[in-house]
This record gives sequence, C-alpha cells and structure tokens, in this order.
Amino acid sequence: MDNKTFIIIGIIVALLIGVVAVFMASGDPDGLESTALVVQGQKELTGGTPENAEIHEETEGRFSYSSPMPDYSLGEQMGPLGGIIAIVLGTILAFFVVLGLTYGIRATRPAK
Amino acid sequence: MHIPDSFIPIWQGAIYWIIVLVFITLALKWAKDEMNEEKLPLVAVLAAGIFALQSFNLPVSMGTSGHLVGGALAAIILGSPFAAVFILAMVLIVQGVLFGDGGITVMGANIINMGVIGGFVGFYTFKGLMGMTKSMPLSVFFAAWLACLIPALAASLELYLAGTFPLVEGMIAMGIYYAIIGVIEGIVTVGAIYLITTARPDLVDTGAKTATGA
Repeated sequence: MDNKTFIIIGIIVALLIGVVAVFMASGDPDGLESTALVVQGQKELTGGTPENAEIHEETEGRFSYSSPMPDYSLGEQMGPLGGIIAIVLGTILAFFVVLGLTYGIRATRPAK
Repeated sequence: MHIPDSFIPIWQGAIYWIIVLVFITLALKWAKDEMNEEKLPLVAVLAAGIFALQSFNLPVSMGTSGHLVGGALAAIILGSPFAAVFILAMVLIVQGVLFGDGGITVMGANIINMGVIGGFVGFYTFKGLMGMTKSMPLSVFFAAWLACLIPALAASLELYLAGTFPLVEGMIAMGIYYAIIGVIEGIVTVGAIYLITTARPDLVDTGAKTATGA
C-alpha cells in the first residue's frame, strides 16, 4: 500500500469511527467524571449514574473558557448533524495540524 | 480522563505546563530527527484516528463509559514514547481549544497524564513484556492496559493535590473505573496495531521482527 492509499484509507476509517460515535457513543460520564460524582456523594461507586447527577465545578479562582463547539456539538437545534460536522472538522484538523507541524519541523532541518 | 479547568487551581496548572513544555521540546526534537517521508503519513493518520477513537465512549457498567486514550498505540507503533507526547499533545490542544474537552490551564496536566505517562508506561511495558513473552498481542494488550490505568491514577493524585478529590476514595474509584476502561484500551490497541502492521509492515518499528526472528 503506498503512502497516498494509506492516508486516504486511514482518514476514511477515522471519519467513519467518528461519525458512528456520534450515534452510538455512550452518554454515561467517563471514569474521571464518575469519580467526581462518587467523591461528591452523588453516585455509588459501583452503582448506576442517577439522571439528575451533576458535577459540582469550582469556579472561584479557576480559569474559564468557552470553546466554539462544546461537547463535540453545534448546539441542540443542530442535533446529530452538528455532531457529525464537529467530529469531521476535529478529525481533519488533527490530521492537518500534525502533518503541518511535522513538515514545518522538517523544514528547519539543515539539508544533508 | 480529560481534566476540566474547574478541577485544578491556575497556579498548579502552570506548574504542569512548565513540566510538560520540557517533554514537548524533546518530542519536537524527536520529530525533527526521526521523521521521514515514509513515517509522516503514519503520524498524521494516527493523530486523526486517535482523535476519532477518543470521541467513541463505550459503556463499561457502573454508570460509566470510557474510550481509547492512544498513548500506548502511538508509542509502540512509532517506536518511541516521544511519539505519544507529540501526537497526544496535538490531539489534546485541538480537543481543548475547539471542543472544550479538557481545560486550557490544565492542559499541561492532561498532556503529562495521557501523552507523557501513557507513552512512557506503554512503550517500556511493551518492550519489557515483548522481551519476556515474545507475544506481540499479549505485550501490546497489557502495555495499553497499564498505559490507561497509570495515567488515571496520576490524574487522581493531581486532583488530590488540587483539593478536588480525596486521596484514597479518588484512587479507588479511578483505579476501578480505569482498570475496566483499560480493557477497551488493550483490545483497540491490539486491533489497531494489527491493522497498521498488516497494511504497512515497513512503517512499523515494534521490534517484532527481532523478537520472532533469529
């Protein structure tokens, strides 16, 4: 498989995973969020996560930042389509950021 | 295990940033020395794949879900823990800045956990086990499992120092959840490495040849 085929197949596989994730991914809190709920007394260690459980976030003296696409979504009204757009953008951006940076670094290398 | 900004005070976040900048500098040096035309597409495709896989949360019971982190995957397939630092740093920057997944002031801590600790634990566990067992899937699985669990315990310790988690309760909960999530990490890493080595055996530097050969 040459480089070009490898890149194309790789990107397609990544995009497929991301798009399927928009529909299939579990909405349960991840391990860190679950732990936060446990230590805040909102969830039993081995029990399910209650519907109304919410992580208490300290804001005093903490940095706060609003990202353009929070939670990999473009907002409620956009629904799954917004999720797909966000994931596709992120996947392609991750690819180009790393590719661009790597090319950039190589360009600084003295020619042999 | 992306820590949000609200979980760690800014001054502690700054300390992790300073530490991680040393590792990022070393990772950039790795990229400068090791990258060639052949490996370039693999690094970029891995970044895209790890980004996508990180969005795929699978349920792991106990009201909890988890996804691949990818530190072991990047380090094993590219033959250096700095590959994991390089790729995970870029993925975490995109996630934090664009999607609010993981904070900004705590990004240093997140890169230390998933990129640095995940990469080093994954890479050296793999090397050690590969030498002992000669079994590629077994070595990859266990290396990836540890590269999920140990960063989670590190995060738990950081959150204890931040006053967000109690020490013992936090360690127990994080340990249990990520010991299970680590099974996902192990299975997906074994599968991904199998697929990539099948597609492009020339790109991969896993030491498998020397281990199975003469």
